[in-house]
Amino acid sequence: MTASTNIAARRLGLPTSALRLHAGNRLSFAIVLLLGLVTVVALLARVIAPYDPIQSVGGLNLPPGSPDHLLGTDAIGRDLLSRTLWGIQVSWFASLLIVATGLVIGGVIGTLAGVFGGWLDNLLMRFTDLFLALPGTLVAIAIVAALGYSLQNTLIGIAVVWWPFYARIIRGEVRSIAARPHVEAARLAGISRPRIVLRHILPGVVPTAIVTASLDIGNVVLLLAGLSFLGLGQSAPAPELGADTARSLQQLLSQWWVPLTPGIAVLLLSLIANLGGDAIRTLMNSKR
Amino acid sequence: MTSASQTAPQRGGVGEAASIEGLHISLQRDGVRSNVLRGVNLTIGRGEIVGLVGESGSGKSVLALALLGLLPSAAAPEITGAIRVAGVDIVHGSAEELRTVRRDELGVIFQDPMTSLNPTMRVGRQVTESTHDHAEAIRLMSAVGIADPELRFRVFPHELSGGLRQRIMAAIAVAGRPSLIIADEPTTALDVTVQAQVLDLLRELRDEFDCSVVLITHDLAVAGQIADRIAVLYAGRIAELGSVSDILHRPNHPYTVGLLRSRLSLETPRDRELLTLRPETGSPGERMTGCAYHTRCPLAIDRCAVEQPPLEQGGIPAADAHLRACWRSINDVQNLAHHSQGDSVVTPRTRNEAAAPAVRVEGLHTRFVLKSGGRKRREVHALRGVDLTVQAGEAVSIVGESGSGKSTLLRVIAGLTPATSGSVALAEGGAQMVFQDAGSSLTPWLSIGELLRERLLPLRLGDAENRKRIDKALVSIGLPLSVAGVRPADLSGGQRQRVALARATMIPPAVLLCDEPTSALDASLAASVLNLIREMRQELTMTVLFVTHDLSVARLMGDRIVVMTQGEIVEAGPVNEVIEHPSHPYTQSLLASVPDIGVLA
Repeated sequence: MTASTNIAARRLGLPTSALRLHAGNRLSFAIVLLLGLVTVVALLARVIAPYDPIQSVGGLNLPPGSPDHLLGTDAIGRDLLSRTLWGIQVSWFASLLIVATGLVIGGVIGTLAGVFGGWLDNLLMRFTDLFLALPGTLVAIAIVAALGYSLQNTLIGIAVVWWPFYARIIRGEVRSIAARPHVEAARLAGISRPRIVLRHILPGVVPTAIVTASLDIGNVVLLLAGLSFLGLGQSAPAPELGADTARSLQQLLSQWWVPLTPGIAVLLLSLIANLGGDAIRTLMNSKR
Repeated sequence: MTSASQTAPQRGGVGEAASIEGLHISLQRDGVRSNVLRGVNLTIGRGEIVGLVGESGSGKSVLALALLGLLPSAAAPEITGAIRVAGVDIVHGSAEELRTVRRDELGVIFQDPMTSLNPTMRVGRQVTESTHDHAEAIRLMSAVGIADPELRFRVFPHELSGGLRQRIMAAIAVAGRPSLIIADEPTTALDVTVQAQVLDLLRELRDEFDCSVVLITHDLAVAGQIADRIAVLYAGRIAELGSVSDILHRPNHPYTVGLLRSRLSLETPRDRELLTLRPETGSPGERMTGCAYHTRCPLAIDRCAVEQPPLEQGGIPAADAHLRACWRSINDVQNLAHHSQGDSVVTPRTRNEAAAPAVRVEGLHTRFVLKSGGRKRREVHALRGVDLTVQAGEAVSIVGESGSGKSTLLRVIAGLTPATSGSVALAEGGAQMVFQDAGSSLTPWLSIGELLRERLLPLRLGDAENRKRIDKALVSIGLPLSVAGVRPADLSGGQRQRVALARATMIPPAVLLCDEPTSALDASLAASVLNLIREMRQELTMTVLFVTHDLSVARLMGDRIVVMTQGEIVEAGPVNEVIEHPSHPYTQSLLASVPDIGVLA
């Protein structure tokens, strides 16, 4: 509703209505801010982290609340807070990267299929169905197994199976907008096809795409943590939430904080991502 | 309140079916609270039909929802004043009480029966839900004029025509033997020939079931056809209240006069500019002080801007009071009513017979294949051999009801829908189209300036020249230049349709195709858009194909009228000939069903 959000929306080429704030939406707005906070923490992890996460810097298995080590230390004396912060950075940006990749690949395929229709639509969508039919996690594991264990290969593995979902959603949205009178009016006005797609169709897809993508981040956070728990992630000394939990799991009964700290971080990340996605949806729907 | 409650009921038993006293309602939308109703007093007598007439935004639908106790809680309604239906306080009643009143005393008919009937349920069961009895449901269905009720009992809403669906709604509405039926624009979504039937049905229901009816409509003539009294609503207040003949023939409020004069009929002079209400110029704040109409009223005096006129009786007291809220004398208002000619004269323009025709359509057939689930394919033959030639500079009105193929014909000419066979030839310049719903034909996230500029891109004129042309286009449609910076959602319906017109004509096309461009607009706005189209046509010597379901509009907009039904042209000829001597029975039935209020007395 405010002028500044409208101007911001115009800059972004978004429908202004999408960003109008409802008076009753303050909670949603606060949650979206939380999403921003997580991103800032992830961005500044290396600055905030008090110690080198790989070096042994204190006593072994210090409990949380110890002086100098807020969340304690692990079995070889590494600072858990620093490891968790670094781990959040890796998880968060890797998830954003995968969702963004899925959105771009799926967006291009979905837009092409939706705009052109006919045989191209059929071809692209059957190809998409093919990927949708594969069990995503298993394919990702198989790809990592084939390419070798590394974070980069894990990301490639997930990205390969992650776009079909977006292709479907964006194709549907493009088709529904393309059938609206304003697109026909634009066609009659003699506007070129690429321009119609870029100016008269795609901006209308943005709200759906943003909501879908933001609701999806939590899934990717969990999947990544799951894969790295199984050993398909960063290699040993590097900090990673899923892997750290897996490696220290035998300490669960003696020093519970060592495996639980990264585990809880995954839980919180995924929770915030999901709440954030919901909040974004509420904000965008409030005026549609 | 005082005077309104004194109004004696017109017919039926004693007492009142419902009363509204000092009703103020404010609703919240997008965090902004606005006063929708601002002090409404109205008594609905038993067995009485009260027409509630107002333009969009007058608060008439909110009043209907308030009577039903169904104001959406999402809009956080704040209500003061009283609504009493059959003695029950609707404003303060408990949920249980409201439910009882709705079940036993109220019936409702909404505008669109397709959305208010349950699409997954057979219509018979929906009627039975209210009657709890099969035989009674069948009886009601035949009472509302449904032939073969036993057969129709088992169909789904989508299998019925609009008129029949509305009859089912009516059967449900009377099932609980209500004392009051609220009909919110019950005929707006229907074809003209069906409209008259549904209005008759409402009156018959009143007679048979002895209930009162609140008929909400934007059209004075529709209310005039069946109502006993009419309340004219403007900006949340009743501007004038009186018997049908008082309101239609002796209007005492400048707004009612304006509404009546801007209403198009088969008698509207063709060669004059259409009369319109003055467009709203005041800010919302200005309108909230004094008389809400003063910013548009041709008779406004200083007092109107500061003091709100009460709704009271003017002239000689009579048995059924004729109330009005206006500071000016009745004489002044009636003088306004009699000074009712458009100023400038529209000169007939010349048709260029020598030049090649602007549009030549030959043997046009269009078939659609509808896939209706599974392997069932239904073919619709929308156009069945249409031939039509439109000379350069000529205006042709195409009239028909929904499903007649008139819109399909326009779309084929525009190239939006492919023809199955036959040919369409257009003169150089091509076709431009103005759509029914201007709102959805303008891309919602682009500014008006951007939308207009896009039209000029192929000409490669450069920024300065583009800006000049956009300004010129905005001036020609009578909008301020600042409109270039806003988005369609910030404009009113009439303004959007003007922008759509500007976009279509800023590079003059060989033919301007108009697909019911005014049917979604209030009468006065519609008249001003029609004026604009006629003006542009004169200025640009443009060829116009004007599709409409309304014969009075067709008569005003065309040199020739073409009547279509079931994909075929059944009658074509000069306007006067078709209107005065219709040869085809279908044209005759269309003419017969044009709602009319007669000439102003």
